[in-house]
Amino acid sequence: MSLRVFRRVRVRWLGIAFILLWSLVPIYWTINTSLQSEAQAGSKPAHYLPPTPTVRNYSTLLGGSGEVSGQIRQSTANIFVECGAATLVTVVLSTLAAYAFARMTFRGRTALFYGVLATMAFPAYTTLIPLYRILGDFGLVNTYTGIVLVYVSGFLPLATWIMYNYLLTLPPAIEEAGLVDGASRLQVLRHVLLPLALPGIVSATVITFLFSWTQFLFPLVLSTDQSTEPLTVVIAALQGQHVVPSTLLSAAGVITIAVPAVIAVALNRYIVSGLVSGSVK
Amino acid sequence: MLSERRGVRGVVGVSLLSCLALVATACSGGGSAASTATRGVTINVALAIPSPPKASLAAFTKSTGITVHWTNIDWDSLQTKIAAAATAHTYFADATDVDWSRVGQLSKLKWFHPMQNYVDTKSLAADMPQMTSFTVGKEVVGVPFDASFLTTTVNKKMFADAGITAMPRTMAQYTADLRRIRSKGVVDHPLDIPFAAAEGLSTYWYQATAAFGGTVLDTHGRPRFTSPGSAGYKAAQWMVDAMRQGLVPPGNINTTDSQGTQTEMAKGTVASVFSDYSGNVGSLYDVPSSSTVVKQVGYLAPPGAGGPAPNLSNPDGIGIPQAAKYPVAAAKFIKWFTAADNQAAFAGLDGPDKTLRTYSLPSRLSAVHKLAAKGDLVGASAMSTMLASGTRPVFPGGAPSWYPQFSNAVYTNLHAAATGSLSVKGAIKAIAGTANRLASGS
Repeated sequence: MSLRVFRRVRVRWLGIAFILLWSLVPIYWTINTSLQSEAQAGSKPAHYLPPTPTVRNYSTLLGGSGEVSGQIRQSTANIFVECGAATLVTVVLSTLAAYAFARMTFRGRTALFYGVLATMAFPAYTTLIPLYRILGDFGLVNTYTGIVLVYVSGFLPLATWIMYNYLLTLPPAIEEAGLVDGASRLQVLRHVLLPLALPGIVSATVITFLFSWTQFLFPLVLSTDQSTEPLTVVIAALQGQHVVPSTLLSAAGVITIAVPAVIAVALNRYIVSGLVSGSVK
Repeated sequence: MLSERRGVRGVVGVSLLSCLALVATACSGGGSAASTATRGVTINVALAIPSPPKASLAAFTKSTGITVHWTNIDWDSLQTKIAAAATAHTYFADATDVDWSRVGQLSKLKWFHPMQNYVDTKSLAADMPQMTSFTVGKEVVGVPFDASFLTTTVNKKMFADAGITAMPRTMAQYTADLRRIRSKGVVDHPLDIPFAAAEGLSTYWYQATAAFGGTVLDTHGRPRFTSPGSAGYKAAQWMVDAMRQGLVPPGNINTTDSQGTQTEMAKGTVASVFSDYSGNVGSLYDVPSSSTVVKQVGYLAPPGAGGPAPNLSNPDGIGIPQAAKYPVAAAKFIKWFTAADNQAAFAGLDGPDKTLRTYSLPSRLSAVHKLAAKGDLVGASAMSTMLASGTRPVFPGGAPSWYPQFSNAVYTNLHAAATGSLSVKGAIKAIAGTANRLASGS
């Protein structure tokens, strides 16, 4: 190995190590803090490993009958309901929309398609107040329906884009064969295209679910009490005005990232394929 | 062809309906009209504290016919919700938090009903010294329901270990005592100043400015800290010098106020917090689960230029948002919630069954006197005296409407001065520049 190649490899590995440390150290530190008592976490010098690991913070959050554990349980149920429903509705609508844009010919198709995609360019927060007002007028503030509708409106364009690009990769001849055999468009979609488009559907599902899971400001504003607040909002509320329970917050953070972390690791290839779909012809 | 036409019609129809819905929403009043009903109604109260005991609320419902649905939301989230709801002209709660530092903004934006229209605020003022913090001109935006103020806390044991027998009354004595504690090796860095670029740093500077005998802004919102002889300039210099001279732990450059009190004062790594929050001794330092200095910390009237300085008010208030559904019922609740007997009970006078958890100090003097007389208040005598005669609003002319931008300039530049990237003179100049620009409306 020449010196130049050796240096290049070394620099590459140094870069990888730096990025890994940059990404993983905060997560490690959160887990480390969550396994300590408040006194240990606040001591100086800091403990790089929990001196006497304890799961007390987790049991406070998940077990028992205390106020905090009740909030965590309720908000965990809320986040699953809201993200699950938003993902389901988004994937169904985006699949239908993507099919229409990819396969059907109608006046204004291109304009409508790019119009839908253009909504992704709007900073999401500029829509917060108008959405709040609309939901308020329809009595949907602090309801699952309201939060799910907002999530769907936010993530539908991206999911449509993912599904559109995936459907374009499927040969139209398969669909035409079904139509020739007498099937309707919906039958072709259901029995022919959807099974073939399953990887694209999984990509859209995973990405929409992960994006919904990490929402904070919208559910913070659109939910007014714990009946609809998701986990991400309730965790922030664990912090008092003058007191910050760092170990409890860290444990809650670990619980919150556990689900998306598992999904991201298990379905990583679908996320990547979904996000890069359409980037190459 | 026919199906495509139907498709186009469908798209056009849905688009028109969506547009109509949006136009209807935009033209609507953004919420139902307010009602003056007070019997058989349910009001929503959203505050950053737990609910009063169920029995107390039940008694209120029985006597008034008003049912209270209480929502406890953390303070930061609550402010976001209040702002979003008010901006959208949408109902959020019938009574909610009024932040003293935003009173100027709130008054200008008309987000809350003027309280003087619902409550006899004039007669309340004598018993509520901190009412001034919620008053802009003749308008009272909210009614204080607790009496948080800034005060100095000292670890008496550490002071004694350093051979200090008399507690300091002036800034010079206080600084000398801190140096003595350090030189005697009682602790390495005896003073907590939260130098993280956050609101707590601004608040600390306001209190230090009061200690040096001045205020940050005049009644017109113009800066009073530009000359090196001014109280604000001296306060900034004192804080930065304390950092550079090692009185403040070096790590405090990124410490917020709550982190400082929790991890330094409560853990016994510092001997004093110059600008601490009233109530912290009872709620934090004397609690064995969160403190290693139980019964060692006490309140001290903030040392000043020539004697004890004023305590700046930092109270929590309650008001009625403009979009409230039942403003009159909400006003009845506020009267009940801030009544002297109830406040004393919330603070523990009538036993644990009637105590409101995390409630610090009543906003009514008469309630504080009752607690002090019964001996139920940690540091009662000092607290009572400071509340009665020591508390002052942070801004004599009321918090300006541009306070958030001003505070941002304060903590950003003081943080920079503490890191050494800016001189005190440079920081003061930058803060004053921001204040002048904001005050002139440009």
